[in-house]
Amino acid sequence: MEEQNISRRSFVKGMALGTVVGYFASAGLSSTVFKKALLPKEKLEQVDIGEIKSLKLKVISETSWYDNNVFLNDVKGAGGLLVNQYTIPWTTEMVKSGYKGSNLGGFSTLIEAEFMDGTKKKFLLDSGWSSDWMEKRYKDEGVDEMLAKKQIEFLVQSHEHMDHFFGIQAVLKYNQNIPIYVPKGFYQEGFDLLKGKAFPEAKVKNDYPHKGTITVLDSSKVNVLYPGIALMTFDVPIILRVFGEQAFVFNVKDKGIVLVTGCCHMGIISYMEAVRKKVKGGEKIYAVQGGLHISPFEDWDPQYDDLILAFNKYGVQKIGANHCTGYITAEKMIKAGLPMVRGTARYMTKRDIYLGNGDELLIA
Amino acid sequence: MSEHSLDTLWLEERKRIDLIKQPLRGIAGVVLAFAVFMGLWWVFMDPRGWLRWYTPQYGYMYIRWLLIVAIWQAYIFNFWPFKRKWMEESHPLKKGIVLTFINFAITGLLIWGFYYYFFGKLAIPYFSWPELQKTGLSDFFSREYSSLAILMMAAIASWLSPIWPAAFENYPWHGLKQPAKGITVFCVTFLLTTYIFFICMHPHYRVLFYPWQEFTAAFPWWYDSFRTLSGNFNVGWIMCATVAVWLSEMTLEQYPFRLIKNQPWRGIGGFVFILLLALIFFFLFVFMQDVVWGVSVEGAKRLMAPDWRYLHAGELAILVLGVAMILFFYFDNWPRKFSTEVNILIRVAIIIVGTIVFHWLYYKVSPALLGTQAGYSHPQQFPMAPIILLINVLLYHNWFMDGWPGKRIKVEGSK
Repeated sequence: MEEQNISRRSFVKGMALGTVVGYFASAGLSSTVFKKALLPKEKLEQVDIGEIKSLKLKVISETSWYDNNVFLNDVKGAGGLLVNQYTIPWTTEMVKSGYKGSNLGGFSTLIEAEFMDGTKKKFLLDSGWSSDWMEKRYKDEGVDEMLAKKQIEFLVQSHEHMDHFFGIQAVLKYNQNIPIYVPKGFYQEGFDLLKGKAFPEAKVKNDYPHKGTITVLDSSKVNVLYPGIALMTFDVPIILRVFGEQAFVFNVKDKGIVLVTGCCHMGIISYMEAVRKKVKGGEKIYAVQGGLHISPFEDWDPQYDDLILAFNKYGVQKIGANHCTGYITAEKMIKAGLPMVRGTARYMTKRDIYLGNGDELLIA
Repeated sequence: MSEHSLDTLWLEERKRIDLIKQPLRGIAGVVLAFAVFMGLWWVFMDPRGWLRWYTPQYGYMYIRWLLIVAIWQAYIFNFWPFKRKWMEESHPLKKGIVLTFINFAITGLLIWGFYYYFFGKLAIPYFSWPELQKTGLSDFFSREYSSLAILMMAAIASWLSPIWPAAFENYPWHGLKQPAKGITVFCVTFLLTTYIFFICMHPHYRVLFYPWQEFTAAFPWWYDSFRTLSGNFNVGWIMCATVAVWLSEMTLEQYPFRLIKNQPWRGIGGFVFILLLALIFFFLFVFMQDVVWGVSVEGAKRLMAPDWRYLHAGELAILVLGVAMILFFYFDNWPRKFSTEVNILIRVAIIIVGTIVFHWLYYKVSPALLGTQAGYSHPQQFPMAPIILLINVLLYHNWFMDGWPGKRIKVEGSK
């Protein structure tokens, strides 16, 4: 490089100039003046979704798998958290703590809403993973009959993950015409499975091709399904090559907003913030129920503590969490004074520190 | 190098002749480097590929350390123990294979020998996959957590390792011969890296394990100001510092701190300049994200998470570096014919435009090409991993192989 001579005076001048430019490029840019001019203004476009009278949430199954190490070894053996879930040979034999030796369980919630005129409607959120296990749980709770008698209005697939979706056969066996809502981002394999295609590598099949309507919802608006009941979709990339998730928003009279999730990969704080901005009454979230996707593998990250520390500021009165919330999170939430609803630890749910299989949460 | 230089690097001394004219040389170089990168990605990283190490942290750890080891080989040890004659006369392909093999071997030895079975075993278990497993953690997360710790160390090393040769010109050990000089600078930079790690990253591990390890690590000191407990805050600005080192070396030609005549003042000036440049990048990139996506929300995930925003600032900086390196290595750091200030201004403009194009292209094609997921914010996906692997390939090609077949070493007496 070419050498240049420079006087002390010019150097000091240069440094002073550099400091001023540097200030405007960093601190100056994020100063109040710039923030006011450039940062997007918060838009409150709140949709009035109406009201319902009461809500009953029954946990059919929240146990996605039984042995966490077996599950993680399946993931590790396949190549980690970014591998396509339809190509992973999931363990279905020789698992001591599993159901009939299989490590596969599933997630599914039965929802019953009572409208303002006293009529009731039922919905199903997710169809679990192992069709054996899901069929047993559906029979235990009478969901099989409800499906066969067409008492369940529709099935909402929160997202495409195996533990929420691969057990679809257990639902379609009893009602092949049930309307299904899926979030935008569902892969072709998902639609193929609904239509009856098998994926032998992942040990998943569907012998009862779906014949009803499939509605794909995107994130552009709040989708009001019935007065007081809506779905919100989030464009989120998710591990094991899944994209997009949707969750319920209920508005229960005299209580407030109730959020019911499958896995909540978008993050419960992001979900509550979105509801606050887009749903009338969203400032007052009364309850949250379902998987909160914090420590699903009993792993941890300091970011999860950020979430627990922030959660308290939202004033939620009931947290009926389970599933991918994780036991470590549940313990930390209880310790942080959050209003966790305890369960009864039955039907393969291991601990009572959150809502387990067969437990109910009533909002009335 | 200036006549006041206190060190001579092979990379700056070597004289190369052009075998292909521009712009074909530049285009062919980029295409070749990209093809090698794609091959390496498919074999080692791609979730649809062969070894599938991008789990993600495990493969990401190797990628980061390959970079550091390349810096050690070229900048700190000046290719010792190879002789100048060998460097000048060996075929670039032979040099590339030998030096890349050494690069891979040292990286493997460092991770398995030093971290997993020495430092992690005898001192801090979170650096060791087997030791974490012994505590009862799952095999998968034992590997992921230890990989994260090791790669966080690499993030700091990528900032500090090149700074001594680049800014301080190895002062005050410039008079030493290799390997004494290399060993000394290596020890000093590695020691500094370790100190910075314990200040910036160790508190992350207080919170990572349950219950919090309050007797062994301090509370994350950045929490009150930056609204996250995650060490991603530090990873973000440190990656900006890494990028600032290379930009000051390549794009800015060490301007303006090269105007300081004497060491150690030139080094100190360079260090301060690089740090300021890094902080400007960091806050600028965080602010740009706030403008595009709105201000982050404490406790939120993905796009809205403060810790992800900090990490993404580092990711954006790495995109800038990728473009700056392509301009430097393949297009002769064009332009060079104007005054330093004008050259720099034009390069900066090219890099800004190039980064915008690269950014758009990366998020458009990476799901199909790299087997990654669509979208900006993924909990287990780091654009830094493929981009640093591409940078590694650029370094192998240009440091180890002299940019062949576009360029070749000019040996005295040859035409």
